[in-house]
Amino acid sequence: MIAKIIIGLVVGFVFGYVLQRTGITKYPRVMGMLLLKDFKIMKFMLTAVTFSLIGFYVLDSLGVIVLNPKPLNWGKLVGGLIFGVGMGLLGYCPGTMLSRIGEGKKEAWLGLLGMVLGILFYALHVKFFKTYLTAESIKGDISSALGISRWVIVPAAAFVFMGIIYVLNKKVSDYRKNF
Amino acid sequence: MKEQIPKNNEWHWFKGGILVSVLSMATYVVFLALSYKSYPFGITSGFGTIATLFKQPFPGLSENPVIQKFSNSPAAPLAIALLIGVMIGGFVAARRSKTYQSEFMPSVWKKYHGSNIWKRSIVVLIGGFLLGWGAVLASGCTTGNILQGWAHLSLGSLVAGSAFFVAAIATANLLYPKKGGLKK
Repeated sequence: MIAKIIIGLVVGFVFGYVLQRTGITKYPRVMGMLLLKDFKIMKFMLTAVTFSLIGFYVLDSLGVIVLNPKPLNWGKLVGGLIFGVGMGLLGYCPGTMLSRIGEGKKEAWLGLLGMVLGILFYALHVKFFKTYLTAESIKGDISSALGISRWVIVPAAAFVFMGIIYVLNKKVSDYRKNF
Repeated sequence: MKEQIPKNNEWHWFKGGILVSVLSMATYVVFLALSYKSYPFGITSGFGTIATLFKQPFPGLSENPVIQKFSNSPAAPLAIALLIGVMIGGFVAARRSKTYQSEFMPSVWKKYHGSNIWKRSIVVLIGGFLLGWGAVLASGCTTGNILQGWAHLSLGSLVAGSAFFVAAIATANLLYPKKGGLKK
């Protein structure tokens, strides 16, 4: 119990710290990304994804960890769209919401309340969502689904992500005034 | 030269990205070693654990399978601690970089939509509601579905993460219609 709390606090602390220091919590940056004008967050995210992608697959291939890809079902699409509308309205996602609370942004507490109510709403109607959206799932990751070796897919995906980062970084300055 | 915001003391995106990636992988290895298999690094579970508090005023909720899953999860204390950790991390980072600023709503919102507290509060409540509902339906938020799901090349996460952006970009362009588009 104590170990879990300490691990949780440490992991959370580092995450919240890095998000705030890198400027990921800033409303103009999030909205700037969504209006396709400021790509710092996108570059940050794709850097993290690319590095982890290579790391996770190396660790999995070495037998240190077992990958746990999330299955595909209609809940992923519908839930993803609902989540996206929420993210656009708020200007932050659940992780940055918490870091923003730490930064002194009072409205984020209301966002937290809203989120808890949203989860309760799902819980109360779970039968409906389970029946119509998440009953059938396709398991796996891209390489198993397409039947192509991970030694091809992973470098290809990393290459695409890095290409996006490169182009965005060349085209748009992180210090342009957008609002 | 276009008008620029002053270079601040923000960390470079590369530094932040690598740090978050290392944290995400380290957490995955540690959780697996401690066999918290059901719960890799994610934020949504912490909010779910808070939702279980509603069992007190509404005892009927104890029967609910989703609430039961959150309250019986062995990772529940970790999920809550993580949530509090992120808040403390944000606080300390803001203090240390002298960017702590107590305010109700973002100044950009004020500039374009006025400073009516009720208006912004309703938008934030609805936004939060959709965030929570969508995150449990898609089983993960940005952290779980993009940071980890994309890194695992999960089919489900690639769809969920893309849906996040499609819907968020559409919403943002409706909120700031005059600001939309890549060209100046």
